[in-house]
Amino acid sequence: MILRTAIMALVLVTVAVIETSVLPFLPVAGLAPDLLLLVTMVVALKDGPQAGLRVGFAAGLLADLLVAQTPVGSATLVLTAIGGIVGTARPYLASQSVTAPLVLAFLSGALGTMAYGTLSLLLGDDRVTGELLATSAIRVGILNTLLAPVALAGIGRLTARFPLGSGSTTE
Amino acid sequence: MYQRRRTRILIGILLFAALVLITMDVRAGDGGVLDGLRGTATGVLQPVQDGASALVRPLGSATDGIRELFSLRSENAELRDRVEDLEERRRVVSDLERENREFQALLDLEERLEFETVAARTVALAPSSFEWTITIDAGSDDGIERDMPVIAGAGLVGRVIQVTPTASRVLLAIDPSFSATARSSRTAEIGSVSGRGSDPMLMQPLEPAADIQAGDEIVTSSFAGGVFPGGIPIGVVADAGDPIARLTRSITVLPYVDFTRVHHVLVVLSAPVEPVPPLEGTPGIPFEPPPIAPDGEDGAPTDEDGDDPEPEGAPTGPGQDEPEDLGAADPGSTP
Repeated sequence: MILRTAIMALVLVTVAVIETSVLPFLPVAGLAPDLLLLVTMVVALKDGPQAGLRVGFAAGLLADLLVAQTPVGSATLVLTAIGGIVGTARPYLASQSVTAPLVLAFLSGALGTMAYGTLSLLLGDDRVTGELLATSAIRVGILNTLLAPVALAGIGRLTARFPLGSGSTTE
Repeated sequence: MYQRRRTRILIGILLFAALVLITMDVRAGDGGVLDGLRGTATGVLQPVQDGASALVRPLGSATDGIRELFSLRSENAELRDRVEDLEERRRVVSDLERENREFQALLDLEERLEFETVAARTVALAPSSFEWTITIDAGSDDGIERDMPVIAGAGLVGRVIQVTPTASRVLLAIDPSFSATARSSRTAEIGSVSGRGSDPMLMQPLEPAADIQAGDEIVTSSFAGGVFPGGIPIGVVADAGDPIARLTRSITVLPYVDFTRVHHVLVVLSAPVEPVPPLEGTPGIPFEPPPIAPDGEDGAPTDEDGDDPEPEGAPTGPGQDEPEDLGAADPGSTP
């Protein structure tokens, strides 16, 4: 369990570094995918709501500390909610479905970006406009959907190698 | 059930914690605990971020280069389109300038010769290689009549040989069937000029020993009621020729007008110079003496109203009856 936590923390830090140091140099149409959100979604889909909540909280906090210009806690709130929602929805999805993870990746990317932008707007970030919010949400949703197979394969292998305790893998 | 409750509790705790973090950060502003934590996290991970950036930056530059390549291609295509557009505009401007020069030359000639004219544009060339004619877009609706002279900026173009309401056909001065009365502008020696197709025009002076030299300008003459008003430039003498047995002389005249590039012309509406009334006693010609004023002291003939001294029946213009033998059957023929 400790090893899994450490590996998951390492994954999150690596993803955060990639998001802050690599993706800015490789933007697609001026935007980059939200990898921390994607990892949260995949962990929640693989291991359930509790793992999703924890990873979402950690990823959000990391994003707040490393990435965001908005008040600390904004990304934490959004990613925690995403992890909880996706994990809660997991039992209702066909386990072997190919489209369900892709649809979830798009929805989580789009809704997560929209929620984060709306929260930023509410907290006084006047750079956020309705048009920018909609455009960013759709683009991040599409990019996350395109990267979802890679994330599912990588995180899936990791969770298979370091599974959660039997009591925490399901709700 | 236990897991579900535990999940709910965890959701509540984590979301509450997130809200507390937001509240703390907003209230603390710059320099708060969370701001310090953010600085610490950034400081710890900065070397890693720098290393990752250094590794990826060349790739990013390459990506930028590729993107810039596509951008340059599209920009190149756009610039090519603009160049084509500008080239097209330049051609149009060049054509307009040429047209403007033509119009200016026409205006100059019209002002110099003081003719009443109608402007027309060439709309068609001769259908065959054996006749030198053009069709212009002005006709009888514009006041054009048969045999009216046609001029361009450089000089004489020809004369109208066919008229429709909206178009006219013009016999070019270089057509072999064209001839006009002409004179040397330097010595006023009279002769006839005729076309020879693509060869220079031929002038045959009335007097073979006339003083005409190479370089003399040849202009139209209204001598003996020629169809053309006097003074319209025709060309320049290229070869003055020699009299043959004092009977005839062939002078080569290079026309001023470039007949392959006649785009705009003026049709001279003003009537040719009135032919002289025939002499009394000329066989076959009815002669009517001018009325004599009953009590005119100066001998000037006046009609009863006293407003028009012109003799009755005298021709006044091309549209009026003319004596059949004056000017010959072809008004443009040699005198």
